[in-house]
Amino acid sequence: MSKANKPVKPPKLFRKLLRWFCASDLLEEIEGDLEETFSYNSATRGTWFAKLIYIKEVVFLIRPSVIKKLKFDNSNNTVMLQNYAKVGFRNILKYKVFSFINVFGLAVSMSVSLLIILMLVCQHQYDQFHSKKDRIYRILTAHNDGNTTAATTPFSTLEAFNENYSLAEHTTSLRRGIGGDAVYKKKFTQMIGYFADPDFFEVFSYELSKGNPTTALTNPNSMIISEEISRKLFGNSNPLGKTVDFTNRGLDFDDDESGSPDFWGTFTITGVIPINYYKTHLRFDVLVSKSSLNNLYQQEKVHDLSQNWSNYYQAYNYVVLNEASSEENLSQALSDLSHTKFSELEEMQVSYLISQSILDFRPGPLLNNAPSISLPMPVYYILSLLALVILLLACLNYTNLSIARAITRSKEIGIRKVTGARRKDLIFQFLSESIITSFLALLLANLVLYFVKSAFMDLWVNQYLNFDLAANLYIYGIFLGFAIFMGAVAGIFPALRLSKQQPVQALKALASSGKTKMSLRKSLTVLQFVVSLLFIITAIVIHNQFRHVMEHDYGFETENILTINLQSNDYEKVKAAFSSISGVSTISGSEYLPSTGRTENMALKVNTEEEPKTLIAISADSEFIDVLDFETIAGNIKQPLTDDGLTIVINREAASVLGYQVPAEIIGESFEMYNGKYVKVIGVIENFTFHLLFNGRSKSPLIIYNNPKRFTMANLSIRSTNRSKILADMSLAWESIDPVHPFTYEFYDENLANNNRGIFDIVSIVGFVAFLAVTIATLGLLGIVIYTAERRTKEVGIRKILGSSNVSLTFLLSKEFLKLLLIAIWIAAPLAYVLNNFWLNFMTVKVDFGLGTVLLGIFILLGIGLLTIGSQTLKTASSNPIEALKTE
Amino acid sequence: MKGTFLGEFQELVLLAILALGEEAYGVSIQQKIKEVAGRDITRGALHSALSRLEEKGFLKSAFGEATKERGGRRKRLYSVTVSGQNALKEARMIRESFRSSIKPSFNFE
Repeated sequence: MSKANKPVKPPKLFRKLLRWFCASDLLEEIEGDLEETFSYNSATRGTWFAKLIYIKEVVFLIRPSVIKKLKFDNSNNTVMLQNYAKVGFRNILKYKVFSFINVFGLAVSMSVSLLIILMLVCQHQYDQFHSKKDRIYRILTAHNDGNTTAATTPFSTLEAFNENYSLAEHTTSLRRGIGGDAVYKKKFTQMIGYFADPDFFEVFSYELSKGNPTTALTNPNSMIISEEISRKLFGNSNPLGKTVDFTNRGLDFDDDESGSPDFWGTFTITGVIPINYYKTHLRFDVLVSKSSLNNLYQQEKVHDLSQNWSNYYQAYNYVVLNEASSEENLSQALSDLSHTKFSELEEMQVSYLISQSILDFRPGPLLNNAPSISLPMPVYYILSLLALVILLLACLNYTNLSIARAITRSKEIGIRKVTGARRKDLIFQFLSESIITSFLALLLANLVLYFVKSAFMDLWVNQYLNFDLAANLYIYGIFLGFAIFMGAVAGIFPALRLSKQQPVQALKALASSGKTKMSLRKSLTVLQFVVSLLFIITAIVIHNQFRHVMEHDYGFETENILTINLQSNDYEKVKAAFSSISGVSTISGSEYLPSTGRTENMALKVNTEEEPKTLIAISADSEFIDVLDFETIAGNIKQPLTDDGLTIVINREAASVLGYQVPAEIIGESFEMYNGKYVKVIGVIENFTFHLLFNGRSKSPLIIYNNPKRFTMANLSIRSTNRSKILADMSLAWESIDPVHPFTYEFYDENLANNNRGIFDIVSIVGFVAFLAVTIATLGLLGIVIYTAERRTKEVGIRKILGSSNVSLTFLLSKEFLKLLLIAIWIAAPLAYVLNNFWLNFMTVKVDFGLGTVLLGIFILLGIGLLTIGSQTLKTASSNPIEALKTE
Repeated sequence: MKGTFLGEFQELVLLAILALGEEAYGVSIQQKIKEVAGRDITRGALHSALSRLEEKGFLKSAFGEATKERGGRRKRLYSVTVSGQNALKEARMIRESFRSSIKPSFNFE
């Protein structure tokens, strides 16, 4: 019954289609006919049949005699476009100053964006060559407690995953922990890499330049080496089948500290991989077959982690999903797996496994233990934000200057409208002008980019990032699109505004000009200066903070200390060889140095019942305290630390953690270690800065114990002023101990400064952006001031004849702009104060930030602003009034 | 003489319009042709024929009344012009003269 009430309609989509293509003079007849047939058919043969027939009819109506004729509303299109281009170029050439301001501002701001585009394109090219890239996932260990997600997972993950789920076509795991020396016929090289299984080549699409990928990682003690290593060890001869002796020294990618040497045996070279030619997230010198592990487990040279679920630092695990499985299946499986495996382990309660597509590696989230260094996504967001602000400022310049010039152009607009231009024609005309400007800017931007790029590549951080910023045709395509977009963004507002004018008003507008929507332009100018001031003040604060950090008093001696990497040599031997060198006053051995980012922990029991207290521990000899010149506050430091590690020196904080507020009282006390032995406190030193300066922790209870086996470095206190002489002597001495490894050293103060170099990069970037912001805003202001001054030339002339002085005229012309500057300062100063205090709160060591810095920023802005305004207004005010009145 | 040539299908359409008299429009022509000749033609094919006939001046058309089943849209009513009628006569004459020249071995009846 409801059918009767509701008439059936022909298929909507096809009715629409018909209406779209059918010529309008035929539409009524044909649509009517079709509908009549439809209602007849649906009554006699049913709805479905009727619909099918309708569809068939519509489809067969698509024929030339029925289709609408394409209409061109203007036969003179090309002439019109030529005219637009001509007028556009003429305008650019006629107002050279404005064009320069627009083109230059856009170009400079564009170059920054182009750089970011280059960076992003470079990152997107990573790992694109894998044939299964859409299905490759890496398993990550995430944490609920706010710790950074790790790129590594337990080594046992894949075995359990493959046992319980059949989602994967192939899986492969890379285990870290290979780093040492390979020797072939007295030639030696250092190499760092992973244990890998044969499926490595099923998952990834790397190709071997020599060797067979299917068998290269099968047998125990097989090794695939990179081309660089191959060249170092074997020169041009074929390395396949040759054997090398490998001694592991516990080297890793991110630090050059080495452990004691451990001979792992002889390995056969089964392949050579040109890994550095690939744009890939993996970097290694060597892959050792996973089957070699069993032997190493038995000799206890490598920890067996195959059933260990709490050590998630050692393995990168990759999965290729089979065609039938989706990412959701994988996530579900991993979530189940972490639930069953992690819930039993106390330390893994907050952890869970997640997956990450290989296409999301770069640019990707910030990860711990990543196999290579790259900028995480948030950095790109911040950089893009900065670039966007700069772009916005440049676009505002264009908008502002175009609107200001509206009065001059209103005659043209009027004439065009009278002769029949529609609004959309005018919009198109103005947009084409802004896009022409934008193209010119793009040309200049490419030039600027060259300098910006080389400055960027010189940043400290870039020695680790391996950016390849070469442009290709594809990238120029992106640039071109970007330029069109920029032109449209910059031009759309003026285009809409200017094209709105009524022809009559436009033609007579010259008289009633001045006041049209000045408020909008004013607020745009104010906005530009608010942004500029924010950047100026922030740049000053960051710079001050940087200087403050660099001059930070660590509480110990940092100058004239030379650190020598022992490279697994015996400390006593090194000490003996170096102590005779003149200019070396004291030599000490240590495990690592404070304030370099490294920490080791040790737990001590205060009472037998209580939970042990965790303290920072550093293994070093007594001379260490002399070399770093720690301030002794209790006990006798001269009494040497015994090399069994059972006498300790602690700092004030450690004494208080162990329950002694008066440091002298802890002298001679003993505490139980994890292994049941007791350590005895023989001295207390003053607290000092132990952690990195941007690390949030400030308190650091520390104990120093003497275990020479753990020493990785010799720290030399140097008296001599002739550093090159002393270094040459040392280099000679080193060769007598270790002819194999090159002599490597570092000055402690430079090392400390390097840790904070990242801040210097930020200073450079923010400083540069601030400079650009101020430049662009100043140029914009200059444009507006020039324009206003020009337009008021006559007024100034008359005023002068009537007796105004130069000074009062300058003031008259500047007044309006001064007001804008003051408003900008009034808004930006408090904002800058709040924002900068906000980020400074996250710093351990922070510079004083107050009114002084804000005032300095304001002073700079006012100085630049006044100079800009003054130069133009003074010129106009002091010009000869006769000249001004004569010109027409 | 392309202008006055009458295709076989066009001839059918003209005949159908004549047969329908006052009520010749898209749907009725389609139905008539199906009824008499047993041919299922699409509206598109019919449109081509109609527009060509109109171009040649064999047809003229005018809007008729709107009906409910047409969704309130008007019909376009077609009628055959004098030159259309002449063209039909000519086509018939050509066929007749062919027929009379055929030997009686083939019987049309």
